[in-house]
Amino acid sequence: MWRRSCIYMLFLCLFFVFGCATPPPKADLEAYNAYLETNDPLEPLNRSVFTFNQFVDRLLLQPAARTYRDVVPLWVRQRIGSALDNLRAPVIFVNDILQGELDRAMTTLARFSFNSTLGIAGLHDIADDMGLKQHDEDFGQTLAVWGSTPGPYIILPVLGPSNPRDAVGRAVDYLLDPFNAWAGNTGREDLAYARTGAALLHARAGLLDVTDDLERNAIDPYAATRSIYRQNRAHAISNGNVNGPDVLSAPSDFPSLDDRVDSNTLSGKP
Amino acid sequence: MKRSIFALIAVLMVSFTAVAHADGLEDGATAFIKALEREAVESLTDPAKERSERVKAFRQLFEEKFAVAAIGKWTLGRNWRRASEEEQKEFLHLFEDLMVAMYVDRFENYAGEKLNILKTTPVDENRATVHTEITRPDGTDGKPISVLWRVGRQGDIYKVLDVVIEGASMSITLQKEFASIIKNTGSVGGLLEELRKKTAELNPS
Repeated sequence: MWRRSCIYMLFLCLFFVFGCATPPPKADLEAYNAYLETNDPLEPLNRSVFTFNQFVDRLLLQPAARTYRDVVPLWVRQRIGSALDNLRAPVIFVNDILQGELDRAMTTLARFSFNSTLGIAGLHDIADDMGLKQHDEDFGQTLAVWGSTPGPYIILPVLGPSNPRDAVGRAVDYLLDPFNAWAGNTGREDLAYARTGAALLHARAGLLDVTDDLERNAIDPYAATRSIYRQNRAHAISNGNVNGPDVLSAPSDFPSLDDRVDSNTLSGKP
Repeated sequence: MKRSIFALIAVLMVSFTAVAHADGLEDGATAFIKALEREAVESLTDPAKERSERVKAFRQLFEEKFAVAAIGKWTLGRNWRRASEEEQKEFLHLFEDLMVAMYVDRFENYAGEKLNILKTTPVDENRATVHTEITRPDGTDGKPISVLWRVGRQGDIYKVLDVVIEGASMSITLQKEFASIIKNTGSVGGLLEELRKKTAELNPS
């Protein structure tokens, strides 16, 4: 496990050294600001990894995810999804606490208690019927709540879009997870791998609609994915608070109807 | 004395809420999205028509219900000013083609699934967010997807300004995508070239 991680990290470092883009000169202020805002100094490298990931995805992940979605009945997929969610509950609970969200921590704890027992090892999300809705948290979000900036955009091989903050978060979540620790301590690593594999497959299947849409409609899928990843993360960090200060305060956040007047939409064709 | 103050406050509060309701932005926006869903599904699932005719009907609806030019202009951002008048015109034209193709695709995909309107919240005096969720039975685990509709109003006319799916805004995503293409091709002309290719690919006719 450690050796494989080390080799993975070594490759990442090599990529970082060779994959940097040159920033535009500061004299061109607009271009320079756009460069900072895009926050993707590794873009040339990231694009290569993106292409590589797409290749792996089309060859392995996507066909598996499609088969899973088309062959396994919805009821079974729901049980798998609930069980995987339930296994994540301890990590979500710890992150709720670390973020100071005590109400949400209580919800997670209650959900875990009900679903692990009455819900038969989490296969049935009975807590949801009681009004205890599921929510997600991870250590990347916790770091964000603590004030950490995401750092530059990175595409990880196989794992996909990330950034230093979320990559660290992912590793910490893995180490925090009691199921993984238990499996590791009792020589049941296979179980931990099986769970990770199932989670990956289930998550990939859940993204099929989004990625199909992107594949058909995006002109620059790399840039679209980068933007969507960041927006999804911001949404998760704010716990889905769409009217939070970050989303709507800036008037430029989304087009105003007033723009319409001088572009003649009211009369139909532009 | 105390009681009359309370009564006064109560009267003031009632009249304030009355004013807020008389304005009707939320109700108007909610009704607008409801109608949009119904009409979009109707126009795209009419079995009496050929697909090309259905798309034509949808395009008409789309032009009427989406602030296409405003969104297009906004997605081009700072590059709008850099574009020549010719380029601006062609851009808006191609942008509409792209949006229609994209939304035909999306509405066809989601047609028949219930759009559940949760609530509507005001953004400012002429903009509101309609919160909805869509449950996809053939999605992975039947969990609803959050879809927000940013709606703008001008007089009695309502138009969609943006659609936000699970926190990801269509307009922001397109804006970033266009900026990236312009950066990589070096000009607005490069973006137009890519848009021509894409729209031709999406509307083979």
